Amino acid sequence: MNYIENIYICLAAPLFIAAFCVRRQGRTMLLFVVSGMTACLLSSYISTFLAAASGADMLTASLTLAPLVEEIMKMIPILFFILVFDPHKGDLSASVMMTAVGFATFENVCYLAQNGAEHLSHLAIRGFGTGAMHVVCGAIIGIGIISFWDQVWLKIGGTMGLLSVTTTYHGIYNLLVAQKGTPAYVGYFIPIFTTFAVVIPLRNHLSGRPVQ
Amino acid sequence: MIETLDNSIQLILTGLCSLIAFVRAVREHRREWLLLGLFFVTFFLGDLYWTLYYIFYSRTLVYPFIPNLSWYTSYLFLAILLLLVKDKKGEDKAPIMLYLIPAFTIAMCAYYMTFGDYVSNLAVAVLMTVIMWNAAKGLIRVRKQEEGAEKLGLYMMSLLFCIVEYAMWTSSCIWEGNTILYPYYWFDFLLSICFVLFIPAVRKMVDE
Repeated sequence: MNYIENIYICLAAPLFIAAFCVRRQGRTMLLFVVSGMTACLLSSYISTFLAAASGADMLTASLTLAPLVEEIMKMIPILFFILVFDPHKGDLSASVMMTAVGFATFENVCYLAQNGAEHLSHLAIRGFGTGAMHVVCGAIIGIGIISFWDQVWLKIGGTMGLLSVTTTYHGIYNLLVAQKGTPAYVGYFIPIFTTFAVVIPLRNHLSGRPVQ
Repeated sequence: MIETLDNSIQLILTGLCSLIAFVRAVREHRREWLLLGLFFVTFFLGDLYWTLYYIFYSRTLVYPFIPNLSWYTSYLFLAILLLLVKDKKGEDKAPIMLYLIPAFTIAMCAYYMTFGDYVSNLAVAVLMTVIMWNAAKGLIRVRKQEEGAEKLGLYMMSLLFCIVEYAMWTSSCIWEGNTILYPYYWFDFLLSICFVLFIPAVRKMVDE
């Protein structure tokens, strides 16, 4: 039995308290980390429910259902932020990243609780791999929001399209890391490579530089 | 063997095309390149997911909605690209001939529904209609010299892409086989070539 609600409370409580003690920018970022963790917790419930409802085993669920559910859940806090607060594009990309960081952190802690913490080398690779994967997915959404957020039809079409891109990217990651040996390490390495080869060079773009 | 070769060629070509389009998007800050890159990369990711699953489990997917979603999204990005480059000024009534496109896509959708599920076939029909409608309308406007000739290549490639996709799907419904003689593979090779030809078409449009 994995008491993920208990883990969630232990992780989110200090961040939530701290959010009331810091100024505006810091508070927003802390709340996005908490919202990422909340999205991860809810994704776990929804994926389990969908797997049971469709009769899929846990492997099939993690390869096909979980990526879609997780990416949709990660996007909900961002959509709420955009629609309610109408933020600056630069603030938006940081918020997307913080949500991804919160999600990855909670997922890693749940993995530790389930599988133990004795194999440092494997956990280090997995930790960086999962963290990088969620950051890459966040960056894809961030770049898309910045590039397509000026016309309603483009906003809807672009966001749905990018959600699909992140879902497939996430699905490929899950597919690779579900294997043993080399494919799993390739799976962990791909997001790290994407972070260094794509996301870091595109930092300026993520800060809201306009596209023609 | 032929399936692996076909998938490998398509993966390599779509991967390379994505790279070229994204490099251009970053250098030139043009949304056309970004959308073309997304069109390539979503198709590439769908192919990659499908191929990896087949390699690891030696069977096709029970729930193939992730690769399907990815392939349909690539059509969505192509549709967005065509809508974005469309000349907004002087919007006129569509010629009667253009209504053959929805008639064709609806008929094909009904045919494919006898083999597959309803929702995905309907989604494909809608996206293909948008692509073919805008491409054909653009071609007519270029011929009437109401719109720039620089977009001709993109419109022609979009139409060719849709025709090859339909030929490929229809051939897979009629003939079954796993050799080079099977028409599905001819059309899939042709589709891979179509991806490459989109690059000069969009370059011509953006440069001019």
